[in-house]
Amino acid sequence: MTHQTHAYHMVNPSPWPLTGALSALLMTSGLTMWFHFNSGTLLTLGLLTNSLTMYQWWRDVVRESTFQGHHTAVVQTGLRYGMILFIMSEVFFFAGFFWAFYHSSLAPTPNLGGYWPPAGINPLNPMEVPLLNTLVLLASGVSITWAHHSLMEGNRKHSLQALLITISLGIYFTLLQTSEYFEASFTISDGIYGSTFFVATGFHGLHVMIGSTFLTICFLRQLKFHFTSKHHFGFEAAAWYWHFVDVVWLFLYISIYWWGS
Amino acid sequence: MLRSLPVLRQIAQRTISTASRRHFENKVPEKQKLFQEDNGIPVHLKGGVGDALLYRATMILTVGGTAYAIYQLAMASFPKKQA
Repeated sequence: MTHQTHAYHMVNPSPWPLTGALSALLMTSGLTMWFHFNSGTLLTLGLLTNSLTMYQWWRDVVRESTFQGHHTAVVQTGLRYGMILFIMSEVFFFAGFFWAFYHSSLAPTPNLGGYWPPAGINPLNPMEVPLLNTLVLLASGVSITWAHHSLMEGNRKHSLQALLITISLGIYFTLLQTSEYFEASFTISDGIYGSTFFVATGFHGLHVMIGSTFLTICFLRQLKFHFTSKHHFGFEAAAWYWHFVDVVWLFLYISIYWWGS
Repeated sequence: MLRSLPVLRQIAQRTISTASRRHFENKVPEKQKLFQEDNGIPVHLKGGVGDALLYRATMILTVGGTAYAIYQLAMASFPKKQA
């Protein structure tokens, strides 16, 4: 039996990059079929195969690390770089939408009335639900830090409790924001105000849902004793992502909700 | 004996439990044994029969879906003439 003489991870051949790429094809062509031919079959197939790929790929990563021990120090360093680079790419993704907002709001065109918010737009009061949302996410940042410290100290009960609080706050934010979407007097098709508002806050909401899902996976893994007090990078990656989501909201709140009203 | 001390410490850290309810037992050692068995099975199939079923289902849906997408593309490329 041959053994490797280095600390890097040589993965087994895997079908998930192929199924992932094909699912992306199905999602994009599915969107086209839905937009132009009113058919949802391909899109549904795409979303389903995408979910199946993500579940099995990440399940395999857990197997390779927790069960097979492949995540040595140098492998973990690579994963840390990877997560940081991914979050940076997301920062640039949101930067585009903030650019669009500031481009339109700093120099409002005559057809908007020459001022911002534009003529006819009744913006949401930043001191009502949006302020509550800000406090909810800030509190979740505190609770996730408590969860991390509990994890590092080996306190199982507290780490589970704190993670649960964080996830609940994330869900609470999503519910509050959903009700705000219904309550708003303007829609996405109400000119550039509507477009910038709903695209920026909409993508943010999607990231809150993704982050909450990631944290829930961490909760389940902690229940199953996967994490140790010294080695729990999956949790740290989820925490970094969650803090990023929180920071994006702070920028949204200050720019669009507060300054933009 | 001294060489196995760090290993024991690692096990101890993982199994520290302050839970008062005994709902969850630590099954990680069993999983470690299953996935470290030297049987040449790749990690995506190593968990058992369920893995193979899920893999097959995913492949059928993805490849079948791709064929369907190409078919739809062919249909959309040649619009039917109106009578």
